Amino acid sequence: MRGYLAIVRGAIMSGIAYRAGFFFLILGNVLYLAVAYFLWKSIYQNTTVIHGLTFNDAYLYAAVGSTVFVLLKTYADWQISHDIADGTVSVYLSKPVDYQLYSLATSLGDVLMSTAIIATPTLVILILVFKVTFVLGPGLLLFPFSLILAFFLSFCFDYMTGLMAFYTESIWGISTSKEILISILAGALVPLQFYPEAIQKVLQVLPFQAIYYTPLMMITRPNQDWGTLLTSLGIQAFWVVILFICTRLFYSQAIKVLRVAGG
Amino acid sequence: MMSLIHIENLNKHFKILNRHPGLSGAIKDLFSNDYKLVRAVDGISYDIEPGEVVGYIGPNGAGKSTTIKMMTGILKPTSGQILVNGLVPYDNRIRQAQIMGVVFGQRTQLWWDLPVIESFRILKEIYRVDQKTFDSHMDLFNDLVGLGALYGQQVRTLSLGQRMLCDITASFLHNPQIVFLDEPTIGLDVSVKAKIRTVIKELNQMRQTTIILTTHDLGDVEALCQRIIIIDKGKILYDGDIKKVNALFGAYRTLKLQIDGYNESTLGQLEDKLMGHFGVENGISIASVEDHWTDVTIDQARTPLADVLSFVMGNFSVNDVRIVEIAMEQVVRKVYDGALG
Repeated sequence: MRGYLAIVRGAIMSGIAYRAGFFFLILGNVLYLAVAYFLWKSIYQNTTVIHGLTFNDAYLYAAVGSTVFVLLKTYADWQISHDIADGTVSVYLSKPVDYQLYSLATSLGDVLMSTAIIATPTLVILILVFKVTFVLGPGLLLFPFSLILAFFLSFCFDYMTGLMAFYTESIWGISTSKEILISILAGALVPLQFYPEAIQKVLQVLPFQAIYYTPLMMITRPNQDWGTLLTSLGIQAFWVVILFICTRLFYSQAIKVLRVAGG
Repeated sequence: MMSLIHIENLNKHFKILNRHPGLSGAIKDLFSNDYKLVRAVDGISYDIEPGEVVGYIGPNGAGKSTTIKMMTGILKPTSGQILVNGLVPYDNRIRQAQIMGVVFGQRTQLWWDLPVIESFRILKEIYRVDQKTFDSHMDLFNDLVGLGALYGQQVRTLSLGQRMLCDITASFLHNPQIVFLDEPTIGLDVSVKAKIRTVIKELNQMRQTTIILTTHDLGDVEALCQRIIIIDKGKILYDGDIKKVNALFGAYRTLKLQIDGYNESTLGQLEDKLMGHFGVENGISIASVEDHWTDVTIDQARTPLADVLSFVMGNFSVNDVRIVEIAMEQVVRKVYDGALG
């Protein structure tokens, strides 16, 4: 455990080494916040409520959504495929660590780093510049927990995508498709309420909505009753368990390819 | 008493796609099922005892790294037995990693973006090294290689030699029983190589660490190992005392000559004259020519290099001369030819 904590710490420090990159991440996100502001403003020009969401709800959803999207990018898929392609995976496998937990620890470090550096200025800009109002409610208290579970889910998807590299060596296409698919199916760009009824029903039973939609609803609709909020948190936890089992099974298969076919 | 490493009839076979040349070939490869079997490691056996320094040598693609990856539990053998400290490495990878240190010369275990000392701190936690041991080891590394001066430097800014010194000492941090060094001197200049050899030697003597060293550089082997295993095409050609092999490559030098007005008959003329002057059993062999370079390999135990050089200079018009130590490929060829009989 102490070893993995040291890895988290190392990843945070590595992140700081690239502080110039953070400036551009913040800048990019602020630009997106501005574009989204005017986009949603024009959508709400003649109405006050669409699909049960006000302008403030929808904009808050999109703005927090884009920020969470940046935060939850673990880059584990790129890291793993890179390690496999150039053989660095052997270095990790020669250490007394579990490769998945190693990867999880570095991702966690990255995410903690970007949470501190990107989320805080974004929040300030949202309140001061775009005059967004936050509704108070129990959902706000649960949001951090929901975000942590969402991180684990996001990591599992990225990790499994990365493991594909054991078979394909390059994951460029797979990773790009995954990114688009998840952002659509998880409601990262547009609240799921805007989707057709039938599609919403399907998406409710898939794990993707637990990555973005659940935490985002905690923050845009925090005043729902505890039962509903805790249920959605429970569903997230359920998917974390399921996906974690999937990653273990997938890893034990994928590592065989390396061990049999050579590193 | 069981050996520290016991390998018996070990095999590792890979299936590799036969690649076709060109773009059309690459497209063909997408749908190809045309695999060939590569016997990277082909029925090797040996035992390694605690405290030994073993030079594991052979040309590129001989199977050295593959064997190391099997001993460290990264790769699973196709067949055969391998026991390290009485355990099967690939079934006990995490447990076994605790008693091993590994340096893959072409890669680093250090954190690229962090100061050197941070990588050591992370390794300290990963291997659960206590603070007292850690401090005493860091002092030792500082004495050996002046590591202290590099502590604050980002790994990416280190020279290759500095990085390698850090990587090697890092692999000794948790006081492992076995350290695998896979090409630790690759791409380094002579003075850094010498320093690395000294460090490896001292660490081995201080801790009685078993060291398995793969290298292209026969100088590494001469400087460090008592025992040498020569491997080529997955098979062991020689396993034994370095002294016997030392005579083989220690005394040999290759004289590279660029002879003026070189043509097809030059090689024959050179050979005739050398044989005429030094006799047939002279330990001289004349070989390959690339871009008008003629290689004359000389066994200095039988004919002094200086004599050959002055004879050639006196009888031929020579544009350029280079003297090189014998290459790994030539040693392997000599072993094949029965030089170790």
